[in-house]
Amino acid sequence: MKTSFRKYLMIGLAATALSTTGLPAWADQVLNIAHPVLEQSWSPLQGGGHVARWQSLQWAAPMYFDKDGKLTPYVLSSAKPDESFKTWTLSIDPKAVFSDGSKITAQDIVGTWNLCARPATKHARVNLFLGDVEGFNDVVVGKAKDMTGLVVNDDQTVTVTLAGPDPIFDQKIATALIPPVKISQAVDESGAQKADWWRPENGVVVSGPFMPESMDLDQGIVTLVPNPHFFGPKPKLEKIVLTTVSDPITATLMLQRGDMDAATELITPTIIQDLGADFLGGPALAKGQQFWFDASKPPMDDINVRKALTMSVNPQELALAAFPDGPFTVADQILNKVPGVDPDFPKFAYDPEAAKAALAASKYKGSDRLPKIMFVGISTPTHEAAAQYIAEQWRKVLGIQGTEMKPAIETYAGPDQKSVQVFRDDVGTRVPDAVSYLMGSIHSGSGNALNKMGGYKNAEVDKLLDEASVKGVADPDRIGNAQKAQRLFREDWMYIPYYYDVMSKWAMPWVQNFDKNDDWQVIEPWNVTIDEEKRPS
Amino acid sequence: MGRYILNRLVRWIPSVFILLLLVYALVFFGAGDPIKLIFLQAPGDVAYDPARIDAIREAAGLNRPFLLQFWDYVLNVAQGNFGNSLVSGRSVNAMISAAVPVTLKIGLTAIVLVSVVGILLGVIAALNQNKWLDNLIVGFALVIWGIPVFVAGPLITVFLVLVLDFDVPYGWGGLFSTKVIVPLLVIGLNPMALIIRQARAGVLEVLSEDYVRTARAKGIPNYQVVMRHIMRPVLTPVVSQIGLLVIATLNNSILIEKVFGLPGLGRMTETAIKSSDYPVIMAIVLIFSIVVMASNLLVDISYPLLDPRAAAKKTEDE
Repeated sequence: MKTSFRKYLMIGLAATALSTTGLPAWADQVLNIAHPVLEQSWSPLQGGGHVARWQSLQWAAPMYFDKDGKLTPYVLSSAKPDESFKTWTLSIDPKAVFSDGSKITAQDIVGTWNLCARPATKHARVNLFLGDVEGFNDVVVGKAKDMTGLVVNDDQTVTVTLAGPDPIFDQKIATALIPPVKISQAVDESGAQKADWWRPENGVVVSGPFMPESMDLDQGIVTLVPNPHFFGPKPKLEKIVLTTVSDPITATLMLQRGDMDAATELITPTIIQDLGADFLGGPALAKGQQFWFDASKPPMDDINVRKALTMSVNPQELALAAFPDGPFTVADQILNKVPGVDPDFPKFAYDPEAAKAALAASKYKGSDRLPKIMFVGISTPTHEAAAQYIAEQWRKVLGIQGTEMKPAIETYAGPDQKSVQVFRDDVGTRVPDAVSYLMGSIHSGSGNALNKMGGYKNAEVDKLLDEASVKGVADPDRIGNAQKAQRLFREDWMYIPYYYDVMSKWAMPWVQNFDKNDDWQVIEPWNVTIDEEKRPS
Repeated sequence: MGRYILNRLVRWIPSVFILLLLVYALVFFGAGDPIKLIFLQAPGDVAYDPARIDAIREAAGLNRPFLLQFWDYVLNVAQGNFGNSLVSGRSVNAMISAAVPVTLKIGLTAIVLVSVVGILLGVIAALNQNKWLDNLIVGFALVIWGIPVFVAGPLITVFLVLVLDFDVPYGWGGLFSTKVIVPLLVIGLNPMALIIRQARAGVLEVLSEDYVRTARAKGIPNYQVVMRHIMRPVLTPVVSQIGLLVIATLNNSILIEKVFGLPGLGRMTETAIKSSDYPVIMAIVLIFSIVVMASNLLVDISYPLLDPRAAAKKTEDE
C-alpha cells in the first residue's frame, strides 16, 4: 500500500478498508496466472478450452516438440514404425512415473486414448491425433468402447495399427492434449470418465512437473506445487497459482501492477499500449490467417472477380491496418514455419490497374452488377480493422459499395447465412510437416475446403497431396509435392493472405523461459523462473 | 396473515412451472446446442464431426424430445436435484450451493446499505429543499442514476488503482473482508438514486400535511416530528421499491461479480450462458425467481406494519 497519509485522510474509511484489499502476498518464485474462465473441470481429457493450454504443467505428453521444433521423448522413449508406416511400436520410458511413484504403463496409455475417443468424454481434438488408428471411427460414435488398433504388448510397450500408412504418426501424438493418465483413477466400470477424478481431494496422481495442491472451483483458484516424483528435471518454481480473472480490464491492471505475471489469453484493443509488445510476442507458429473465398457463391464463382479482389489489396497495408502498433508478419503463401516453405513462391502483387482489368474481364463486367459481399470471422477489433481496410480498397480501386461483416458463422442468422462469400480464419498444423499443413487447408477433404471455400476441389492438388502423405518424412518428394500443390492452388486465387500467427507468451517480461510450442503448451515448465527484480514490488 | 402467505406460496407453484418451461424452451430452441458450442467456441483446428457430435448428444441424453427432457428435469428438480453441468459434468447442486450464499450476502448487504443511506439522504434533501444541500444530494442522485454499473465498476477500479495506487480490489474473503467494500459501493450506487428520489418526494409530500404542521405548532422537536410523523408514511412507497431493488441487485451482480472476482451466482450466470449450459442456467433462473418472489412477498407483508389501512384491506382480501 503506497497511499500517502494525506490521501488516506481524504478517502477515510474506504481507504482504510482497501488497504488490505488484494490478492495474498506471494512468496518468491510463485507464478500467478490470470485465467479468463471460471472453469468447472480441469480434466486433462477435454482436448480444448482454456484449461487445455496449461496441460503441460500437470501432465507429461507422450512426446513433445522442443524450442527448436525437434521431436523429443517424454513419457515415450521411442515410437518406431514398420516399413509400411501402418504399425507403430511405442516404448515407454522406464523412468516415467506418476506423482505417487507408480510407473506409467502401456495399460494407462491405451486406456487413456480409448477414453479420449469415447463420445461421453467430449474430447475436442482427439480426431487430429488418433483419427487414423484402426477402430477409431467406431469408438468415436459410440459403436465400440476400444480401438482395435491399440494393443498392449507388455507393461512398457504398445503396438498401434493404423487404418492407412502415416509416416508422421509419432509427430501427431507429440501433444499434451492426450497425456497418459492413471487409467484406474479416471475411468469407471461402465467405461465413462469418473466425475471429478482430476481433483486433489480425490487423490489424483499426475505425471507432469507440477501437481495440484488445491482446486477451489467455486472461487476459481487452482494452486500447483512441484511434483516430488517428476521423472524430468526438478521444477524451479515453488508454486503456480491460476486465478480466474474474467474481466480483461481487471486482468490488465493486475498484470501492470505485478499482481499477476501471465495470462491464459488476454485480448483488448489497447493491449500493446498497456502491457507492451513483448507481452504478445513469441515465436512464429505454423499457422496463418487468410480471407478465404467461397467459390460456390457469386461473385466468387468467377476467377476474374477473385483476381480483382485479391490484387486490389496491398498485403503490407492490410497487416498494418490490423496491427498499427506491431508486431506482425505479412503472409503470402499458405505454408509457414515448416520444412517445405517455398522460398520462390510467387507472391500476390498489389496491382490496382490489373485488378480493374480483371473485374472488367469477369462476367459481371464491373462493380455495378456484383452482389453484396459478406464477411464472417470478423470477431476481434484487429480483424475488424483489416476487413474494413479490404472493403475500403475494394471501394476505392474497384468501386464496390456493398459489403457487410459479422463475427462468426453461427451467429450469422437468417437468410443471409448461406450467402457468405468471405471467411476470415486461420489454417495451420501442430506438426512440422508441409503435407499435413496443406491436407488440412487446401485438400478437398479438409474442413477448410469444404466449409470455407465452398467445397473447393482441384483434382491435381488432391493427387499431389495424397501421394505425398504416404511418403516418408525423409523422402524429398514429400516436400516437393506439397510445394507443387501449393503453387497450383495459388493459381485458383482462392484467398487474400493476411498475416502469420505467433505463439504469444501472454506473460510479463519478468517471466523467464516461458516459451510455448504450437500446441499452446509451455515447452519446459520446469525451467520457468521469475526475475523478481523486474517485477513491480 | 398466515392464510395470505400460504395462498401466495401456493400460487408460486404454477408460476415457477411456467417460468421454467419458458426458459427451458428458450435455451433449448434458441441458445444453441451446448455440445456444438464446445467445439465451435474452441479456436483453431478443432475436429468438428457431425456424426461424433450426434454420438456425444446421445450419450448426454440430449437427443430425446423436448418435452421428455423437460419433464425429467422437473421431476429431478422436485427431488432437489438440479442435475450435472453439460459442459463440465460437475453437480449443479454443488456449484449452486457454493455460489448462492455469496450473492445473497452481497445482495442483502447492498440492499440494506442502499436503503438506509438512500432514505437518510432523501430525508435530508427534502428537509433542506432548494438549499445547497438539497441540490448537492439531488445532483449526486442524478449522476449515479446516469452511470450504468458496467461503466461504474471498471471506472472506479481504474481510478483506485491507477490514480490512488491502491491494490486491485479482487476476490472474496467473506462479507466482513475489506475486499467487498468496492463491489458493495458499485452495486449500490445506481439503485440508491431511486431510493433517494423516492424518499425525498415522499417527505416533501408529507411535510405539507396538516398533522405535520400541527405537530410542529405544538412545539414537538423537529427530529421527533421526522421520526414519528414523517418517516412512517414515507417508508411505505420506499419499501415498495425494495422489490425493484432486489431485481436491480441481482442484475448488477452478473457484472459486479465478474469485475471483482466474486464467486457468486452472477459470475456463474455469465459462464453458463456463454456455453449454453442449461442445467446451470435453469438452476440460476429458478433461484433468482424465488428470491424475487420472496422479496415481493416480504414487501407485501410489511405494508400492514407500516400502514394500518393496508392491514384492513388485506383482512378483507383474506
